[in-house]
Amino acid sequence: MPESALDRAETLLDSSGRDANRPEPNRLDVRVDPKDLLTAVASLMDARWGYLSAITGLDNDSQLEALYHFCSGADIVTLRASTDRADASLPSVCRLIPSAGVFERELSELFGIDIQDAPDTSRLLLPDDWPLDVFPLRKDTDVSNVPSVPVLSQPSEKNRFVVPIGPQHPALKEPGHFEFTADGEVVTAASLRLGYAHRGIEKATESRSWIQDLYLLERVCGICSHVHALAYSLGAERLAGVTAPPRAQAIRELVSEMERIHSHLLWLGVTAHEAGFESLFMYTWRDRETIMQLVEDLTGNRVNYSANVLGGVKIDIDAARAHALLNGVDFLEQRTRHYLEEVGGDETFLRRTRHIGIMSAHDAEVLGVVGPSARASGVLRDIRAEAPYAAYLQFPVEPVLRHTGDLEARVLARVLELFESYRVIRELLDNLPAGPLVARMPRRIRAGETISRVEAPRGELFYFLKSNGSEHPERIKIRTPTLCNMSSALHLTVGRYLADVPMLLAGVDPCFSCNDRSVHLNVAGDTWTWQQLSQHAREFYA
Amino acid sequence: MTAQLVALLVVPGGAFVLVCGLVYEWLDRKLVARFQNRVGPRWFQPAADVVKLLAKEEIVPSGANALILNALPLVALASVLTAALYVPMAGLSTAWSFNGDLIVVLYLLSLVSVCVGLAGVTTRDRFAIEGAGRVFTQVFAYEAPWLAALLGPAVAASSWNIADVAAHANGQWLVVTQPIGFIVAIVGLIGKLELAPLDAPEAETELVAGSLTEYSGRGLAMFRLAKDATFVVGLALIAAFFLGGAADIVSWLLKTVALLVIIALVQALFARTRIDQTVALWWRIGVWLAVLQLLAIGILHQVGL
Amino acid sequence: MLNGALDRIRAWAQINSPWVVHFNSGSCNGCDIEILATFTPKYDVERFGVKLQGSPRHADVLICTGPVTRQARDRLKRVYDQMPAPKYVIAVGSCALSGGVFQGCYGVVGHVDAVIPVDIYVPGCPPRPEAIIDGLVKLLGKLEGTAAHA
Repeated sequence: MPESALDRAETLLDSSGRDANRPEPNRLDVRVDPKDLLTAVASLMDARWGYLSAITGLDNDSQLEALYHFCSGADIVTLRASTDRADASLPSVCRLIPSAGVFERELSELFGIDIQDAPDTSRLLLPDDWPLDVFPLRKDTDVSNVPSVPVLSQPSEKNRFVVPIGPQHPALKEPGHFEFTADGEVVTAASLRLGYAHRGIEKATESRSWIQDLYLLERVCGICSHVHALAYSLGAERLAGVTAPPRAQAIRELVSEMERIHSHLLWLGVTAHEAGFESLFMYTWRDRETIMQLVEDLTGNRVNYSANVLGGVKIDIDAARAHALLNGVDFLEQRTRHYLEEVGGDETFLRRTRHIGIMSAHDAEVLGVVGPSARASGVLRDIRAEAPYAAYLQFPVEPVLRHTGDLEARVLARVLELFESYRVIRELLDNLPAGPLVARMPRRIRAGETISRVEAPRGELFYFLKSNGSEHPERIKIRTPTLCNMSSALHLTVGRYLADVPMLLAGVDPCFSCNDRSVHLNVAGDTWTWQQLSQHAREFYA
Repeated sequence: MTAQLVALLVVPGGAFVLVCGLVYEWLDRKLVARFQNRVGPRWFQPAADVVKLLAKEEIVPSGANALILNALPLVALASVLTAALYVPMAGLSTAWSFNGDLIVVLYLLSLVSVCVGLAGVTTRDRFAIEGAGRVFTQVFAYEAPWLAALLGPAVAASSWNIADVAAHANGQWLVVTQPIGFIVAIVGLIGKLELAPLDAPEAETELVAGSLTEYSGRGLAMFRLAKDATFVVGLALIAAFFLGGAADIVSWLLKTVALLVIIALVQALFARTRIDQTVALWWRIGVWLAVLQLLAIGILHQVGL
Repeated sequence: MLNGALDRIRAWAQINSPWVVHFNSGSCNGCDIEILATFTPKYDVERFGVKLQGSPRHADVLICTGPVTRQARDRLKRVYDQMPAPKYVIAVGSCALSGGVFQGCYGVVGHVDAVIPVDIYVPGCPPRPEAIIDGLVKLLGKLEGTAAHA
């Protein structure tokens, strides 16, 4: 019998890990002492076993535990490293996985684990006025009245430029910070500072019931609300040993694809606007109203659909709605063909996208880039295909791959993907399984841990759920696709020209609510704004 | 004396130019909106915008020189209104005229852009300074081709006097004999007004407002009026030179509006070019084409054609 | 007499030319995309004279979304302060009104009017573009009412 991927991993981790076990058919958990962590990670990376998808922190009373999740297709290997609460410390894996920096910073500031040799220890998510010694995700931390501490001006403040880098459009502007240090034209260091949309959701899930959390988690992001709820529901169901009925799963997939359509059209419009193609922005958003209308007819809301309930869905499709949906899809497909011609053929647009911001397949793979951004570089990462969930096994999608890895490829990856969505929607509507919409879910979910991954419009959305047998979750960890992609994009800027930065960042379709960012630019003691950086980029490539 | 005052302040000067500017701004915005499949603004919108701005609190950012900050919009507006007096408007002959006024008018029109740029430099806002840099870059890009394009008809008429050139062009549709000059002039005007696709200086408008980021009330109102007036004067010049002059108000209106429609179409059709691309494009191609055309005209003229 | 006429003209202009600056104080972006949608063909707020501005200095109305995270609070205040008078604030979405589903989360202050004065509250999660436009029109109506009684 051929060795499975998990078997292979187990062998690789033989010497550095212990207590290997398979909590679920697709998961391998291995305990690792902090001192062996780097060796363990190295064995996986050297054998090119998967990519680091997320790092979860857990508070296990006397010890704090960090879980390093490596994914390869549907298989997940988790290295579990525990450290004493009193003097929590772990080595940094950035030497081996440069893009792990953001995960480690998050772990560090929320749990109070000191990461040794971390390249960047500055604040990632918590507000500037948050006390340094309050770690919100520790179980014994009371977050109800955390005082505001005076914000110390950073010593090199005068050398830094806080540039509110908006996303491409002001209405979607969300402040967040990128920090670049450049020596002349070359970027020598890049860092991320999030925090403007940091609401403290993960902590809040622990004090709400499983049902209440559904409504909370839907609102992590308004653009990809459904997939958040879906990942959560699937995970909770798996913990409870419940399987949603086939009709429900099919409807879940249907709504996921409708969400993908709205999201890609949104991004297309915003990208067009960024390129100054105002008319295309207007047309795509006008046409996007079609899918918004259909979604509203089906679920009752244009945004935050609330289609999921634990155990299934609460909406159904009748013949009339199905018919309307088919008509809508036909119309959108025709419009999308037109857009394909526009973005593929318009000279002015191409000049902003072709050969710009190239990311190689190797970089995309190693840095853990996910979603269309990865597929644009030829890396096949699509949870719908690799680890089918909902009804994707019966109604599969063919992932769209491009190979040039430039901004044009990223645009095309998304536009072409739309056709797949249209196709699968038709297939679903033609063959929707009959049956109930919900399976019964217990109010209390028995203790256990599970990992739930789904393909959001922007890429792999990763949920780690832990239950303790009560009505409230023990821990819910969310790793959004944009965090992976931003982190990788940033890493790629190091050693490249400043002029490359804007396009590299814009191309990953940042979901602003999932993460937020802003730009600090330290260029030989001079302050630069995002506009100046953009301008610089244009001049550089003149 | 009264006649002169009327000409200066009302028609074809001051009031007429400003009102016409507001109407044309509306027409442009409305057309662009319709091309984008939207309804667009109401007819009095530009007027409402200006009055509202005049009533807003003017905040002088710290570190900025209040005197210069307040003077620049006035200078810009005054320049373009003065320039308007030498250009045939509304089917009337020019209010004033002297030999060489073509050069002066072109200078005054570029002064408007320079004031906008200086406005950005005066404030201490990073975005504004950045925007100012781009304004100047764009001015640098467009002045030469624009000049060369308008010189074509001047050479054909052997005169530096706008009234003469307009008279010479009357009935002769120079767009036919000098098509390149015509196109260059239109694109030059688009660049001058920072309309799409040549709006790189205002490119990140939502993120920042370019050079005028720090202006709030009256100053902003006056800059907007100056821009609208430049639009009218620019259209009038191109109509007079290339579209066979404008002897009466009806043909003047028709011709300037036709040009406006073309410009609105261009705004809607193209993606924004990068500023470096526009500069490169026009200095590499536009200027040479315009100069070649000029030479051709000059030679033909000497030869007696 | 002249003053009255000038006031009425000024009020008319303000009501008919409401330029908007948008600020996201930590929302999930649901409200923000619906706000952006109001500028697109199906809703087209330019009909009302609304233009989206990049600089607070060019704006009359601040449209604010989000439950105001601790990190965003100072910036929100600063954006408001930079706007020249007369200025108004529309808070959009449940989060901006009360913190919405994020009430009690450690990262949020809770509602926009804890930081800046708000004139119009538009509830919804998110409110539809029509509701947002309705909120705007109500603001303009309020201004008209105030002007009439001035």
